[in-house]
Amino acid sequence: MPPGIGDDARPAAPAGVPADAVAVGAMRFGDHLCLTYDNEDERRAILAAYIRDGLRASHKIIYLADEDDPAAVLNRLARAPGTAPAALAEAVRAGHLVVRPIIEAFLATGRFDPAETVNLLRTEIDVALVQGYDGVRITGETSFSLRGWPGTEDFGAFEHLCGEAIGAPGSRAMVICQYDRRWFDAAQLRELEGCHGAQVRVDDLHDDGVLRITPIFTPPGLRLTGALDESTLPAVRRALAASGARSGHFCLDLGDLEFCDLTGLGVLLGALPDGRAEGPAALPHRQIVLRGLPDYLALMMRIAGWESMPGVHLERAAP
Amino acid sequence: MTTGTRAALALPHRALLHSTPAEFARAAVPYLAEGVGAGEVAVVIAGPDATELIHEGLGAAAHGVEFIAAAGWFTTPVAALASYDERARQDWWPRGRLRLLAEPVWAGRSALEVREWLRHEALLNVALAGSPTTLLCAYDAADLPPALLAHAARTHPELVDEDGIRPSHGYVEPADFYAECNAEPLAPPPITAARRIFGAGELPGLRAFLTREAARHGLPAADTLPFVLAVNEVATMVIRDGGGHGALWVWAADGELVADVTDPNRGMPDRFLGQLPPRPPHQADAAMWAVRRLCHIVEVRSNSMGTRVRLHLRLPA
Repeated sequence: MPPGIGDDARPAAPAGVPADAVAVGAMRFGDHLCLTYDNEDERRAILAAYIRDGLRASHKIIYLADEDDPAAVLNRLARAPGTAPAALAEAVRAGHLVVRPIIEAFLATGRFDPAETVNLLRTEIDVALVQGYDGVRITGETSFSLRGWPGTEDFGAFEHLCGEAIGAPGSRAMVICQYDRRWFDAAQLRELEGCHGAQVRVDDLHDDGVLRITPIFTPPGLRLTGALDESTLPAVRRALAASGARSGHFCLDLGDLEFCDLTGLGVLLGALPDGRAEGPAALPHRQIVLRGLPDYLALMMRIAGWESMPGVHLERAAP
Repeated sequence: MTTGTRAALALPHRALLHSTPAEFARAAVPYLAEGVGAGEVAVVIAGPDATELIHEGLGAAAHGVEFIAAAGWFTTPVAALASYDERARQDWWPRGRLRLLAEPVWAGRSALEVREWLRHEALLNVALAGSPTTLLCAYDAADLPPALLAHAARTHPELVDEDGIRPSHGYVEPADFYAECNAEPLAPPPITAARRIFGAGELPGLRAFLTREAARHGLPAADTLPFVLAVNEVATMVIRDGGGHGALWVWAADGELVADVTDPNRGMPDRFLGQLPPRPPHQADAAMWAVRRLCHIVEVRSNSMGTRVRLHLRLPA
């Protein structure tokens, strides 16, 4: 047997997705989480799930937007895969979803007052509960804090107060604070992230305790964690089919795929039909990039004669 | 198929039965020299003594011959076939007709290994049929058991000695020889073997069981994942293409870790199953080929009553 099989040559978790990140679908009342993003697709996927779950659960949803135009925010959200634009519009009409420009928070006093802003949020939450909603989901954009508006110098103080208010016993609210990594410097971001319970991450497409399938965004693709076998293959076929609209490069992060049988490998590589009616040939322009390929799978690819499949590329591990 | 086309497709696969080193050299050296002279790709896969004799006999012409150590080549029958396939496709056939001299390794082989290497000789007639290859296999008649030499005549369509090439009248069609190899029933697993049943959705537990058993019997960590991959692949065939559920036994015997996977309901057509390099779209063959590549030896017994696949992996001495 060639040496090195079973060697643990996995790359570290990608930057920005800490191991303790909470899936958006697993959020609970009292959570004050931080969405640090540099990829619009990822941000949109998380917020769309947050809103969709909130609408289903009869939570009032308050979106505090940097932009003055709520319609622009709704248009952006409506582009997330799996989102029904009509449902969003209906939720806005019914007052179930409120998009509010952050600038409104300044209009009362002319300056950003952390304590006063948190009090406003508290009032919003109370009103929503009185109106009969079962809970409140808030999300806010934060880039305005960098514009030198009066009172925003100590944005961390606001985040601390916000966390305390939302996390208070009996709270029926949760918050996602959105941080655009392109605007905040690293030290600043670390400090602000520290004001939150954890990072929020995108929901898994599948997790049955044997295999977890998670979307990744930079580059776009899927991360597989656990074991791909006859029992979990249908979920992989579904995940691949659901991502079928994307052409171009598609990354499969296999660094944590501890086990994969030959059929599973063949489906991932497009060597075997993946369950779409037309088969893999339906996406001639998709280039598969394999990230963190474990040694045993490299061996299986050699044995099966799949090591030089057209459209399949091996990402070289960073030194 | 007419006799004419059969002859055209048949592999020139000859057994050289020799009794002395001189006899070996008198047949092997001209065979290779002729190939080098004709611009063929000449390759020798042999032990040190035979290699030495050929070097001496060929002299300067030995530069045109590739020498490969038999011990590293003939590790398992399926690994050897994979090596033939890979090297021939990548290096040898692109340069011309291949003229091989092979000296199979018999010393130290168990009865099971001898049978599987004889089967390998028969399979070469199928694997290399129609390819631009001439293959001469050297057998030391003074040293090897008569029964083994008799099988050499049954697996090679032609025999070679000092007097030249003649047809082997005892030659048996590969499919018949293959069936003969499968005729001997497998002994049942020992009663001490660990047993477990499996069905759809139960392979994660089966793999954990295999990993524990492999560790208990001292299989090195680096060999454990290939073992688990191989057994999982057979169990998947039972679930997906067979009767849907089966049983597994694991035990250690004669320096090997052995696993039996049975399908009590369904037979598995075994016409050289997984014995030849897979070519699309034979997926069952590709899976079984992978299983054989991951193991030392794999035995398949199948009929209308069910299937038993026995996987052998070497344990450290």
